[in-house]
Amino acid sequence: MAIVPGMTKLTAPYWDAARDGRLVVQECRSCGRLTHPPLPACPDCHSTELGWREVSGHGTVYTYTVVRHPTHFAFADRVPYVIALVELAEGPRLISGITGIAPDEVRVGMPVRVVFREVADGVTLPYFEPAP
Amino acid sequence: MTRRPVIRNTAAIVGIGQTAYAKALEPTAWELAVDAILSACADAGVDVADVDGMCRFTAPFETVSEAMLVRALGIRELAFFAQAPHGGEALGAVVAHAAAAVSAGLANIVVVYRALSQSKGGRFGRADRGGPGGAAAEGAGDIVVPEQDNLSFAWPYGLMSPGQLFALWARRYAAVHHLTEEDLTRTLGTIAITQRQYANNNPAAMMRDRKLDWETYAGARMISEPLRLFDLCLENDGACAFVVTSAEVARTLRGDPVYVLAATQTLAPYREPMGIYVPGELLELFPSAAADRLFEQAGVTRKDIDVAEFYDATSYMPLRSLESYGFAADGQGWRYVLEQGTGPDSPLPVNTHGGHLSEAYLHGMNGIVEAVRQLRGTASNQVAGAAVALVGAPAGSATILAR
Repeated sequence: MAIVPGMTKLTAPYWDAARDGRLVVQECRSCGRLTHPPLPACPDCHSTELGWREVSGHGTVYTYTVVRHPTHFAFADRVPYVIALVELAEGPRLISGITGIAPDEVRVGMPVRVVFREVADGVTLPYFEPAP
Repeated sequence: MTRRPVIRNTAAIVGIGQTAYAKALEPTAWELAVDAILSACADAGVDVADVDGMCRFTAPFETVSEAMLVRALGIRELAFFAQAPHGGEALGAVVAHAAAAVSAGLANIVVVYRALSQSKGGRFGRADRGGPGGAAAEGAGDIVVPEQDNLSFAWPYGLMSPGQLFALWARRYAAVHHLTEEDLTRTLGTIAITQRQYANNNPAAMMRDRKLDWETYAGARMISEPLRLFDLCLENDGACAFVVTSAEVARTLRGDPVYVLAATQTLAPYREPMGIYVPGELLELFPSAAADRLFEQAGVTRKDIDVAEFYDATSYMPLRSLESYGFAADGQGWRYVLEQGTGPDSPLPVNTHGGHLSEAYLHGMNGIVEAVRQLRGTASNQVAGAAVALVGAPAGSATILAR
């Protein structure tokens, strides 16, 4: 059993791209601003000409927490796990998880890169692992 | 833009009431709300039937509607009612709405209340108990999180509770300001232990009889690192309420009304409570203009504040609030806590009732009730001569009260 994102017209392209193994961020076609999570209009220039830009998938751990006490039964057998706010090389930050490293070894500022994990049938979540 | 101080000294709190606070109480939230409101009206010396205004937090935070209370309390008619969203950020808003309403003559006697039954309803620390952070039904298959307020980008990764969010903030704070693990533990622990000591002397506090020493604090299990068990607020049942009226009416009711000097709201882009996608440094919880506006409207300075009740879902929040409201320089709050502390003999006693960590969790509203006691001179941990008090939420929604 997994907890999976409900999708809206606004958010579905993000998850569709993840299922295809691509990390994308909403991009304003008018001024170039990158925004995550996506918004119905560009908060800078108010354009509604918005698209999606594939990003490098590289970033750093902006902050993180090691969860040792689950707050939902779906995570009861997954503790300890790491929640991280990852700052992408392109600027936007996104909530994700850190994999491929012991939770105790995660540090703020650590370089990471995206990996894709299928958590349910047809649902893939971007995660991050230490970058070599 | 300069704003005319419409509230300053034109509205006052004339009655406070609260129920018992406990992990589980027999009464429902509705019954608890009725109890607290009747106590507050009795304390104010007003007939509850004369109440003509009510302010509350929006559902799903506040589950008891003003309509339920109008029926239950035999109130003839409400001429004014208002609800404030965003959880703890409603803390200053409900006071602002009540004070503005009596100042503008929209209502005469306004009740502000908060009732919680976490034993029977949603729990803030459990995302699978229908809490206000959103609910995902238990089923045989996968759980789909409807998109609302970015939850669909957070829940799949197990980011589901306020405690986890504040752990992210606390970790960032330590990294930016170069705190060692020991620095961070000692800072958060000082806040938690100081508040426990206040609670040990507060007969109404849930933790009245439970001492907390350093060994127990540091040895407690990690919930969401770097936050330990005692860094997180209590979950409980209980209710509290207070009565707001105009300054003129207040003076006819009692000799010691507590005046509202300022009550403010703030909402900046992506700085809603739990907002994690701030464009700048994550630690900037609210624009400094919000705190400046609060003091400007109140007509007082930081130096005038005798006691502060800071919203403390976690021990990190009073630390950061000391900085955000301007009592310590940015990044120096932790040194301030270690060197000056927040206890009875510190420059600014903080959370003198024990706060959410050790009195009870009432979404900040018990902090207002405590501030009123302090200004009346009737608090268990009375700050000598307290004349001006600040009650503040972490993102800048706040109230300044004065006797």
